[in-house]
Amino acid sequence: MAYEAVKGKLARGETVLLDGGVGTEILRRGVYWRGHGIEQHPEAVRQVHSDYLAAGAEVLRTNTFQLNRRAYLDLFHGLEHMRRIGPEGLEHKAGRLLAQGVELAREARNGAGRAGLAVAGVISPLAHCFRPDLSPPLDQCRREYGEIVEQMKAAGVDFILLESMNGVREARVACEVARSSGLPVWVSFVVRENAQVLSREPLAEAVKAVEPLGVDVIAVNCAPLADITAAVAELRQHRTGPIGAWAHIGRYDPPSWKFGFYPRFSGTESVPPAQYLEAAREWKRIGAQVIGGCCGTGPEHVRALRDGL
Amino acid sequence: MSEGYEKLKARFQNGEIIILDGGIGSEMLRRGVTWEGHKVESEPAAIRAIHADYIRAGADVISTNTFQLARRSYMNHFADAEHMKRIGAADLSRRAPLLIGEGVKRVLEARDQVGRRDVLVAGAMTTLDWCFRPDVAPSLEEMHAEYRETVQAFKDAGADLMLFETFNSSKEARTALEAAREAGIPAWVSFVCDWQGKLLNGETVPQTREGLAGVEPDVLLFNCAPVPDITLALGELSRELRKRPGPRMGGYAHVGRFDPPDWMFTDEYPPAQYLSACREWVSLGAQVLGGCCGTTPMHIEALKKGLPRTLPV
Repeated sequence: MAYEAVKGKLARGETVLLDGGVGTEILRRGVYWRGHGIEQHPEAVRQVHSDYLAAGAEVLRTNTFQLNRRAYLDLFHGLEHMRRIGPEGLEHKAGRLLAQGVELAREARNGAGRAGLAVAGVISPLAHCFRPDLSPPLDQCRREYGEIVEQMKAAGVDFILLESMNGVREARVACEVARSSGLPVWVSFVVRENAQVLSREPLAEAVKAVEPLGVDVIAVNCAPLADITAAVAELRQHRTGPIGAWAHIGRYDPPSWKFGFYPRFSGTESVPPAQYLEAAREWKRIGAQVIGGCCGTGPEHVRALRDGL
Repeated sequence: MSEGYEKLKARFQNGEIIILDGGIGSEMLRRGVTWEGHKVESEPAAIRAIHADYIRAGADVISTNTFQLARRSYMNHFADAEHMKRIGAADLSRRAPLLIGEGVKRVLEARDQVGRRDVLVAGAMTTLDWCFRPDVAPSLEEMHAEYRETVQAFKDAGADLMLFETFNSSKEARTALEAAREAGIPAWVSFVCDWQGKLLNGETVPQTREGLAGVEPDVLLFNCAPVPDITLALGELSRELRKRPGPRMGGYAHVGRFDPPDWMFTDEYPPAQYLSACREWVSLGAQVLGGCCGTTPMHIEALKKGLPRTLPV
């Protein structure tokens, strides 16, 4: 099984190399960000995955960040309004894209000609990843994560990665639901510069909430290098099992039009692979076992990690 | 008040029909200008060309390509100001007023290019938060400050009037109208309607007018809904205005389907059919007609050629 190899490495204290930014890399290659590029440019999406594998990644993240029913529904007054003015079947679009997105990562993995590679089914917070204030009520979270986890499992991911979780409450429910599927689960939190979760809750609380649920990895992501370094150190204080880290580079640069998370980061050249590697070495020294890149990083960053860690 | 707007008021008095432009964002997509933002600064020629085509088609009023362009549109992507400063691009907080200025310039340039200085520039602005979500509207206090800032940016850039469009509550419309009044710029308000002739927050037409008491705009319109829904809402408005006269009325429907982040074009209302719908709205008393998402310069040309010059007496 693909995940067994990864699990073995984690158990032996070895480093597991994650891929880099998926959405930002797709955008960088000129793909128009519509339906995550999945329907109109599947070959480009698959190529990004393949390029990360060629660069040395052992875990691929699916291009499914924020692909959930709510992301579309939030743009309408409600389901009735969506049906009135939206195209037929829009309410099922997220699920459809998710399955296709997972398949593209699986195809890239199966074509890599290397064993021991795992596909992580990426699930983001239900509302905008940077807006903990928009997190839905618990019963809705439970229902919606239930549906997404089910879709991920049916699509054939090796494990679930709850990524860029922005608050303890939603992360806990997400972990519970994901664990109940029987799949292995990793969870990663967006952090602020003071090693707090974006919701301003201490990382210690986040660890306390999700650790008993049996997650294999707890990580921090989607913050600048220095903030991730501070957060990894804090995480190490509170978590004995495997931890992970991936930072974004450049500056989040959303367009003048509000459509959820749009993966554009500008000024990414400010952190070349060698500099990223330097920070990642520090994360490894602190104890991070899962290391990769978040938004803005590309295959060259992952290659530098493979060669230099 | 600008000289152009004075003239427009005289035309209103004469009962003349005033033609608005059609969709802009959707027209960009139809022309293959992908939509990752308004592109008023990055694709100036493309935006100018769309405005110019609407002027040539016969629009009397051109709206700026600035829908949903406000400070909040960027802020909403971050947890708070501190987070935005930490991870966001450096100029995000300055972008909205800058792009508003650019957006107005593109219309002014198009006017010059076509040689039609008499065409009016409407500063297009929707609700501060998402236009279809009255439930996420900011507090009154925040609204006041943000409308004041945004309306001033339009006025400074040279807009003749404000077109507050795709609004979802009388409360927010009232706040916007107050800001326009303070800034000394005329304003029209256009509401999205549902399929029952109500605003998205559930307000009926009479309730909406009550909510605007004392600050009613020169023109009250409905937009961003399918043709039959606009017809229904304008019917309600027509009955209401017969009981209690007030603003002039207008409407512009969308044609096709909102397929985020894009627009899906359909052939339900080609120009001739859209013209028939607008004729019906004129018969209800609508004096300002145009097109929302999915309509094209061909639709506006059909209105210019096919609508009566004045309201029926």
